[in-house]
Amino acid sequence: MDFYVNAFTQVMAFGPLTAMLGATLLGVFIGALPGLNPVMAIALLLPLTYSMDPLVALAMVAGIYNGSMYGGAIPAILLRIPGTPASIATTFDGFPMADRGEASKALKIACWSSAIGGIASAIALMTMGPILARLTLFFGPAEYFWIAIFGMASVGVMVGSDPIKGIMAAVLGLLIGTMGIDNLSGQARFTFGQTWLLGGLDLIVVLVGLYALPPVLQLAEKRDLMGLSAAQLKLADAPFAKGELRGLFPTWLRASGIGIGIGVGILPGAGGNIAAFLSYNAVKNASDDPDSFGKGNPQGVAAAECGNNADNAASMIPALSLGIPGNVVAALVLSALTIHGLQPGPQLFHQNPTLVGGFMMEMLITSVLIFALGGAVATRVFAQFQRLPGVLLVPAILILMCVGVYVINGRMVDLWVMLGAGLAGYFLEKVNVPLAPIILGMILGPMAEQSIRRALLISRGDPTELFTRPLSAVLAVLTLLIVIWPLIRVLRRRRSTDIPPTT
Amino acid sequence: MEKRQDIVVGLIFSGIGLGAAWMATEYRGASGNYPMALGLILMLLGAAVVIKVIRSARNEPRPLIDAPAQMIIATVVAAVYVAAVVPLVFYTASFLVMLAMPLALGFRRIVYALVVAAVFIMLVYLVFSVLLDKPLPREAILSLLTAGG
Repeated sequence: MDFYVNAFTQVMAFGPLTAMLGATLLGVFIGALPGLNPVMAIALLLPLTYSMDPLVALAMVAGIYNGSMYGGAIPAILLRIPGTPASIATTFDGFPMADRGEASKALKIACWSSAIGGIASAIALMTMGPILARLTLFFGPAEYFWIAIFGMASVGVMVGSDPIKGIMAAVLGLLIGTMGIDNLSGQARFTFGQTWLLGGLDLIVVLVGLYALPPVLQLAEKRDLMGLSAAQLKLADAPFAKGELRGLFPTWLRASGIGIGIGVGILPGAGGNIAAFLSYNAVKNASDDPDSFGKGNPQGVAAAECGNNADNAASMIPALSLGIPGNVVAALVLSALTIHGLQPGPQLFHQNPTLVGGFMMEMLITSVLIFALGGAVATRVFAQFQRLPGVLLVPAILILMCVGVYVINGRMVDLWVMLGAGLAGYFLEKVNVPLAPIILGMILGPMAEQSIRRALLISRGDPTELFTRPLSAVLAVLTLLIVIWPLIRVLRRRRSTDIPPTT
Repeated sequence: MEKRQDIVVGLIFSGIGLGAAWMATEYRGASGNYPMALGLILMLLGAAVVIKVIRSARNEPRPLIDAPAQMIIATVVAAVYVAAVVPLVFYTASFLVMLAMPLALGFRRIVYALVVAAVFIMLVYLVFSVLLDKPLPREAILSLLTAGG
């Protein structure tokens, strides 16, 4: 309990509070603009946080994350354009509601559902995170190695449509992570004689390029010269009928929008869009009137938004306690911790309890802030930004990327690295090679390498040390299962299609 | 899947893996073992992608670039902007790219673009130089004016 009391006291200081307030508003704004997404926004934010207090930096990450997941519902409801991938399911019933003049009501439901999903998720993080972290006290170098490999394997397999490409991306990330001076021997690796490569490729520079440039290029490809008209963004008031809001509680609780979101969040590799779809389907299947879904049923909006926000804090459970990010935003949070000299992974809870507890509190408080800041008035204001032509956003984001990347190390060469990484990211996405495993490989790579080398030093070069300890054996088997699972699925599918139907 | 694209992807990754493994042979002891193993795994995975594509009967066309003209324009303007940052420095180069990029993409409301560019650069200046006090190189135009004065 002291853990949270101390953290709460720190978080309620002026700096973190202001950061949470501003970042939640900024998050709603970013989510409301189709083409911008929370990953891009947090990637752009990270270079600015170098000189900030870690709790202030993490407050901004929490605010942008929670705010943008709700903000994505605004264009999803008003225009049937999901502001973020997680709000695709919101369009199913949100837009039909707007179409029949109930946009204001749909936005209110999205706001409440997002806040409730976010709060439940933060509570899950606050209760499950420390328990999981306590388990890690039994971990040695062999277990840390397997944890890193398990994280990368699961994200590699689950993100994207082709598991081989996912694992390939993770290995590429691991390889990039080896660039620069080897901490254990002092050997320079893959530096090509360039002194600026001695420290390796800067994670944030690569990250900003990979995640911010592809959406910018896609925005340019759309060539939006007009923006939206005022008429398209007009909201008519549609008050709730008596008992209508109360009727949504079963959707939030019984129909398991919350439970599914949290479960999906904990699973490495699955994201808010999957949580939203699963919640939506669960509510639809449990409904007495499933045919009304897709035609403007408020429960559909509530399920999708509750589900996608319930994923947010839950994805931080494996990230903070094990060092395995559940999704890309969690990977960004780990990057933010790295910026401040903190080692993501099992030891984080034991070494920096105030910071970890503080971040959990910030996830909770920013979810509560959505109630206050995401109301109809704020939504009306943010919706107006969609009147900006997309072609003006293209250079604006590019400038933020360049200035942000330059201030990290004060080197012009980083701008070219970012541009190169961005172009690579653009083409890799097009050929279905997921980007998240690359970043994860870069984050977890050094931990994996140091752990395996330490384990082998302890065992005097005996590799069976990696498999004979009970915990490491379990993790090794889990990793193997994760990797071969897609193969088993393909074989089973092939066998079932080979069996002729019995008559 | 798009067969030709996936074969190229597999070959590129295999090439990177092979190159990395070969370079790692020059690193002494344990420093080389880990990247060498990774390089070889990457090479095998790239080969697996190629083999999978060759064995697959499916070949669904997938455009690599949706709107090539806009994509190339945006990339070239972005590269010119980054190159221009060295001689002109950030705020001048940024103001110019705020005008050049929309114009190159076909936006013709010049006054609108000018107003947005001015407001945006002001915001960037307030955030980076005033609020966060980030050190950016001195603007070339200011140096010229000082030298001229």
